[in-house]
Amino acid sequence: MESGRDDFVIAIRSAFLKKGNQQKFSLLSLIIFSIIFLILGNFNFRIVNFNRTVIKEIIYYSSFIVNVPENIIKNSLNNVSDHFNHYDDYLVTKDELQQLKNKDIEKKIITFENIELKKLIDDYFIEDRQTYAKVLIDKESPFLRSIVINKGSRNGVKAGMAVYDDIYLVGKVVEVNFLTSRVLLISDINSKVPITIQPLNIQGIMSGLEQASGQLQYINKEKLVSDNNQKMIVVTSGVGGIFKSGIPIGEINSADTSSNEKLIVNFYRDFSQLKYVKISSHIKENININMDESNKKIFEENNSQINEMNNQADDIKVLKQQKIINNEIQLKLKSENIRLKNKLIDTQEELRKSSKKINSNQEKIDDLNFLELNLTYGHKCKKSFFKPQFFKIGTDEYRTCVLNKGIIKKD
Amino acid sequence: MNDKKKYFLYKYTPVFLLFTSILNEIDFNLEFKYFTFNFAYILIFYYSLKREGAIGYIFIFIAGLFNDTVNGLPMGISSLSYLLLCTTAAYLRNITLRPNLIKDWLFFLIAILILNFVTYTCLILFFNYEINYFDQMINIMGTFFAYLVFSYVFRFYDDYILGASN
Repeated sequence: MESGRDDFVIAIRSAFLKKGNQQKFSLLSLIIFSIIFLILGNFNFRIVNFNRTVIKEIIYYSSFIVNVPENIIKNSLNNVSDHFNHYDDYLVTKDELQQLKNKDIEKKIITFENIELKKLIDDYFIEDRQTYAKVLIDKESPFLRSIVINKGSRNGVKAGMAVYDDIYLVGKVVEVNFLTSRVLLISDINSKVPITIQPLNIQGIMSGLEQASGQLQYINKEKLVSDNNQKMIVVTSGVGGIFKSGIPIGEINSADTSSNEKLIVNFYRDFSQLKYVKISSHIKENININMDESNKKIFEENNSQINEMNNQADDIKVLKQQKIINNEIQLKLKSENIRLKNKLIDTQEELRKSSKKINSNQEKIDDLNFLELNLTYGHKCKKSFFKPQFFKIGTDEYRTCVLNKGIIKKD
Repeated sequence: MNDKKKYFLYKYTPVFLLFTSILNEIDFNLEFKYFTFNFAYILIFYYSLKREGAIGYIFIFIAGLFNDTVNGLPMGISSLSYLLLCTTAAYLRNITLRPNLIKDWLFFLIAILILNFVTYTCLILFFNYEINYFDQMINIMGTFFAYLVFSYVFRFYDDYILGASN
């Protein structure tokens, strides 16, 4: 037993301390070096940081150079497969282009409306600093999913800046060197992104899971009930101020929401195919920043365009309201017209009846007048044996004679 | 191939392989979902065990720093794990009288379990990293199984291609 322990101690001591053939350092000394490196890394000493930055710069560029042959092979294979898939891609793209064109106009209007609304709640961010970078290393470690890009503090990159592929979120800058930076991908388990699920407007946190997917956390699944099995879109919520709100990340298949498994977000972009990325930071619009002339011009142009669009939108709103009012007036006028027409017809009928009545009354009055005069002057017109020149009763001449109060003598 | 070239390859192939695998994007975390392995572990353990001094400890230390930088880990953590692996290999070499591949293989499993434990503990406790244990388990098992294959490949390369046994 004693000898066994001695053997163990001797073997361990030999393993740690013995310098092998052509070894300049013992294992123990190098292990101590490693631990010192680890401990120094935790402290923010200027000289340590400087040395670390220099080492990183050298290694990143060495790694990039070593990767060149493999990248050439990879790119060649991609090119070949692209050529094979060219026609199929063309058909899909054509179809998509048509759909996108249709959506584009609608999107523009919604975007401007969105900007207006965001301005109202003081949540409208504009791009402060923007730069494009090439991906130097996208080595996928089991510990950390990250990429190294060829822009550093010299190019104005700062830790915490958001990184995009086109308009989609890729990650954020976590380490800045002089010429290079490291970007933590959102597919990494250490990445926590505040998100909103649209159209249900549910807030949550997304952490990385696999290369092309993330996992949603702190979300009440019962609320996740969508209509028609449509895909739910995951965008950044802007909570915490690291990312601006509304950056698209991926989609959740609504079928997943019903099961008791993890809620998985399928990313829009494949992070293993990144070549170039956009790095940008955002500020609120009302903050005055030092812009150069070209940026100012673009900013003013954009502003004037937004104002113009807003004015046009206002005009359209006014015109729409006017149209609605006009339609209402037209309808009222139509109904009034119909009513008046009916009234006119009724009035005409009444008038006709009245005139008829008046006529009959006039006739009656004439008759009464005649009868009255007849009593007084009838004898002056009545034909008799002695007055043969007078008129027979009931004739028109007799009536005329009575109404004239007797025969009018001619001079 | 003349003896000079053979000797050159015999001497520098492990170092070249180690630095290439660390600096290159062919990092053996393959596209397969359930199969990844750590090539550097296999290479370091095999050559520390079979050919002492094939990869100098200082090279292993530097390779660890390179690996940390490329992978974005705290600098020194990979060096520590590589050197611990060398220690276990040196210990095994010291206690072994009759080398046996299966024994080496099982000892390798214990070694990588211990040094991964050390690595994960450091990362979690001191550097606040979050680790996907399922992926790590797959990586460990993949490394364990791949060791058997690569030990045959390395032996074939050393013995038959370079004729080191002669």
